[in-house]
Parts: sequence; structure tokens; C-alpha cells
Amino acid sequence: MIPTSWFLILSAILFTIGVCGVLTRRNGITIFMSIELMVNAVNLTFLAYARQMHDVHGLIFVFFIMAIAAAEAAIGLAIFISLFHHRDTIDVDEANLMHW
Amino acid sequence: MSGNVAFDATDIVLSIVKIAVILLLWLNVTPIMVWVERRGSALIQDRPGPNRVGPLGLLQSFADALKFILKEDIIPAQAHKWLYTLAPAFGLLPALTTIAVVPWGRAFVIPEMHLFGRTLFEGGRIFNPIIADVSAGILVIFALASLGVYGITIAGWSSANKYSMFGAIRASAQMISYELSLTLAAVSVLLVAGSLRLTEVVAQQTNYYYVLFDIVKIPAWNVLSPAMWLSFIIFFVSAFAETNRLPFDFAEAEAELVAGYHTEYSSMKFALFFMAEYMAMATMSAVITTLYLGGWDIPYYNEPATFLGFLLSFLAFMAKVGFLMFIFVWVRWTIPRLKYDILMRIGWKFFLPLAILNIVIVAAFIAGGWI
Amino acid sequence: MEFAIFFLFAAIAVIFALVVVLHRNPVVGALSLVASFFALAVMYVLLEAPFLAALQVIVYAGAIMVLFLFVIMLLNLSHAPEAPTRPVQQFLGYTASAAFGIGLVYYIAKYAVSTTTEGFFQADAHTIGVRMFEAYVFPFEMVSILLLAAIVGALYLSGRALPRPAATASQPGDEVSK
Repeated sequence: MIPTSWFLILSAILFTIGVCGVLTRRNGITIFMSIELMVNAVNLTFLAYARQMHDVHGLIFVFFIMAIAAAEAAIGLAIFISLFHHRDTIDVDEANLMHW
Repeated sequence: MSGNVAFDATDIVLSIVKIAVILLLWLNVTPIMVWVERRGSALIQDRPGPNRVGPLGLLQSFADALKFILKEDIIPAQAHKWLYTLAPAFGLLPALTTIAVVPWGRAFVIPEMHLFGRTLFEGGRIFNPIIADVSAGILVIFALASLGVYGITIAGWSSANKYSMFGAIRASAQMISYELSLTLAAVSVLLVAGSLRLTEVVAQQTNYYYVLFDIVKIPAWNVLSPAMWLSFIIFFVSAFAETNRLPFDFAEAEAELVAGYHTEYSSMKFALFFMAEYMAMATMSAVITTLYLGGWDIPYYNEPATFLGFLLSFLAFMAKVGFLMFIFVWVRWTIPRLKYDILMRIGWKFFLPLAILNIVIVAAFIAGGWI
Repeated sequence: MEFAIFFLFAAIAVIFALVVVLHRNPVVGALSLVASFFALAVMYVLLEAPFLAALQVIVYAGAIMVLFLFVIMLLNLSHAPEAPTRPVQQFLGYTASAAFGIGLVYYIAKYAVSTTTEGFFQADAHTIGVRMFEAYVFPFEMVSILLLAAIVGALYLSGRALPRPAATASQPGDEVSK
């Protein structure tokens, strides 16, 4: 039986890689994919604790997170398509009209 | 997992045996189906078909394989080399992994066998002819079937050819649209069987219904009960769309898009796509057999839990799969291809509402006790 | 045996996650994310939740990433190479995330409690279904309305050739750039 802390450490590593991607990349789609990676790391944490504490609420939470992440992906990509149609680039540093 | 079931070396050996049997069967599907397709189409179109190579043209597949191996392998200069080479493997992945959760015979008890004074098997070990008996069997089938989109999309995109790209986009849009009605139609099987596990779906179909004042006894196959007819039709048609067979074959669309997503592929990579298509067809036939035609069940015969019973059930399973694959070939050469916008329209506006309505109908049947 | 599978698929998940974050081509990044999600699904099976593992592959690897891949391919994003990030941002980003990660792993390894509750627990469709339709039926229905809102929003945001009543009427999203 694999200890829960191993799954938590794997989740922490994936979350950190996601954070690194969000902070250092300019391509909007890549930033979005790093966010999805972070959400999946959190899913892993929920399931690790659901198994440890024999609680079904962890599973329910993961179920809802998956559904909401699907909705978020659809809307986020629609926003990126709209940005691309107006600026011809996905570079998030170029979306700076509200910059001071 | 984690110690619920005792798992020892003999189990590993038996698993390897099961994997070897299924791999041998499924890798040989393509040569057999090539011959069946070509002779079958010739029969339907009233012409002889291949009859030069070997008796009745039976060695035609070997000639084709030799041709594929000896052809020059071309990679377009602007193609993304890694993805271009990996795309056929993506196509094979869903077909070969889905068959791991399909039960292909009756579970039997291995008798005690002694060889050279050493005990090979102690009495009472059950051999369950399914490689992975997961508790979410039906869902695993759909999970792996939805990965089939990647092979086509990556093949079309990495070829750096606009016709391949168009073919890939159209084929992937078609596949993801019909995945929905496929999954919803199979929910009714789940409702009737009461479990996602495929061995239980087949076990439920080994019972019998007593109709007409309990006189006539018919096997409880899902295709034979009127409540499931609509679900069977939706699933069958969506299976054609999932495997990209006519009347839904926009992926190849001969004479429309040159050759669709595999225009730029030559020799062994093209042969891999070819194999992937026939294997996907065989896998989908196996899934339809398990969900609707009673899997390995022989009607009106209670197979004993011995090796002989297992063999008979295995032959019954193969016969049903073979019959369904012949129907795939038959439909291909009979029905013309649909126009793409009509195809997408009926996928979303006809089959999806129908599949949702089907769930309500089956649930009503179960609530009324008529199943 | 379980440990071997855990290490293998944890390594696959981490390596492909690094490819997502570090590779220039977004198509390769999207496919690596698919591989990472698949490895995570194996992790879910190790956590005795095969239903959620199948759902992970169906929803994430089979639907969301297909959406990503379609958008990347239709916008032809790999032809315009991404400009390199400014060195200040790169340095700060890498050090901040490294510090965050090291701190997180250290405190988890030090303080996480791994004792399992006794008893048999089945994380299959039946358990989740019973709880979902008895106690959580309201959030379930709200999520379906949320998905409907997402569909409508995505259609509106990405539509460009919607018929306009007058030629001089403003286009949606005009305020973004003009």
C-alpha cells in the first residue's frame, strides 16, 4: 500500500511545474495548459485523501472539478480565439491595452 | 488492488497467456479482413475479385504485406518528423487496449495438473478469459475509444498538407460527435445490467426471458428485448461513425480529398493505418457482441465451467464477432457515403436527442418491470 | 509491484509535464499533456478509484485536450514562434516556483499523516452515484446549467461572422482592441 504522502509529493511537484509554466511562458495556450496541470494536481490530492480517510466526498469533489474544468477550458479557449482574431497573436504580453 | 486479491506468479503467467492469445488473434485480423473485404466486395459487385495469388486469392494478403514492406518510405520535407512517425501508433492504441476489457469466453476451473511429478496447478484456480476485469469496464471502452481522435488529427496535421488537414479535421469532428450518441446508447445496457463490469453485463445476458404466458423461453440478449432495439440501432450506427467506415468514412473519402488524413503516408506507416482501421472494426464488433449479442453465451445451452465449455463459448464469441464484421463489409459496399453536413446534422440533431430519449424509454421499461 | 508502477507512471507524468512547460511548440505541449493525464489516470487506479480514472481519460484526455488541439491547429499557432520571455521574468519565475515547490514538498514530507482508516471502501460508480443523486443532486443540476452557459458563452465569444442588423453596428469584442 503506497503511503498517501507519496501521492501528495507527486501532486506538489506537478503543481510546481504548472506554476512555473504560468510564470515563465508567453504563449497563452501554454499558460492555459499549465493551469490545467495545476487543476489535475489538486485532483490527485483530493483522491489521495479520499482513499486515506475512506470518504466519498473527495470523489464527488473531483467529479465536479472535472466538469467545471471542462466548462472553463471551453470558455478560456473561446476568449483566446477572440483575442487572436483581433490582435493576430496569442502572446499574452501583447494584450496590454489596460496597461498604465 | 492493495492486497484484496492474492496475486502470485501463476496469475502473472496466466495473464501473459491471455495477452498472447488476444494479440495473436487481433494482429491476424487485418490479413483475414483484407481478403474478406476484397472477395466480399467482389461478390456484391458481381465480379471475381482477387483470384490469382493462391487458391481463391487467399494469399492476397501476403502479397499486399510484401508490397508494403518493400515500398519506399517517404517523409515529406516539411512534416514534423516525430509526430508524423508516431501518428500511426496513436491509431493502433485504442484498438489494441480496448480489447483488454472484453470477456471472450466462459470462466472455467483449471483442473489439477501434474507434470513430471511437480504440481502445475492446484485444484480450484479459476481462469477468467478477460485480460483486465475492471469494475468500470464500459467506461474504459469509451475512454479508450475517445483517444482514437488523436491518431487522425496528428496524422493530418503533421503531414503539412492542406488536404490531409481538412480530412483530419472533418474526421475528428465526426468522431467526437458520434462518441456522444455511442456513450448514451450504451447507458441503457448499463441500466439493464446494473453494473459497469463487462463480465456482469454478459452474465446478465446468459439468463432467459419467459414470454407469452411463460411458455416461450428466449435468451436475455439485449438485442432480443424490444426495449433495447432503439439503443442497438443507435450504437450500431455510431460504431460505423467511430471506426470511420462507410457511410461515414470522411477520413479516407476516396475521390474527394485524395486520401484524406493518410495522403502523405507510404509503405509501412500506411499499412499501420490500414491495420488500425481493421483492428478498430474488430474491437468495435467485439464490444457490440458483448453489450448486445450476449458475448460468449451460446443460447439454450448451459456451458459447463470446464475447458470444453470455455472453447465452445470462445468459438461462439468469435462467430458473433465475425458475423458483425461481415456486416461492416456488407454495409460498406451497399450504402453510399453521406454528405458531410448531412452527416454532422444527423449526428447532433437526430442521434443525440434520440439517444437521450432512449435512456428515458429504457428507464421507463425498467421502472414498469417489463425488462 | 505497486511501487514499480507508481514510480514509472509518476516519472512519466512529471517528465511530460516538464515538456509541456518547456517546449516551444504548443502542439507537442498539448500531446505531452495528454500523456501526462494518462499517467495521472493510472495514479487514480492506484488510488482505488477506477471510475474516476476512466472519467479522467474520457473528460480530460479525450475531450478537453482535443479542444486544445483543435484550437492550436486551427489558429496555426506553431507557425509563429513564441518570443522568448524577458530574462528578468524568467529568473524570477523559475526561482519563485522552485522556492514554492521545495517548501511545499518539504512541509508535506514532514507533516503529512499517512494512517489509513480501517474498513472496506469502494470508490466505484455505485458509491458516487448514490451520494450524487441523494445529497448532491442540486450541485449536479447546477453544473449542467453551468455547462450550458459555457456552451452559449463559447459560441458567442468565438463567433465572428454573426449576421449584423446594420453594417456599422459594432462587433462583439470591439472594446477589447479598439
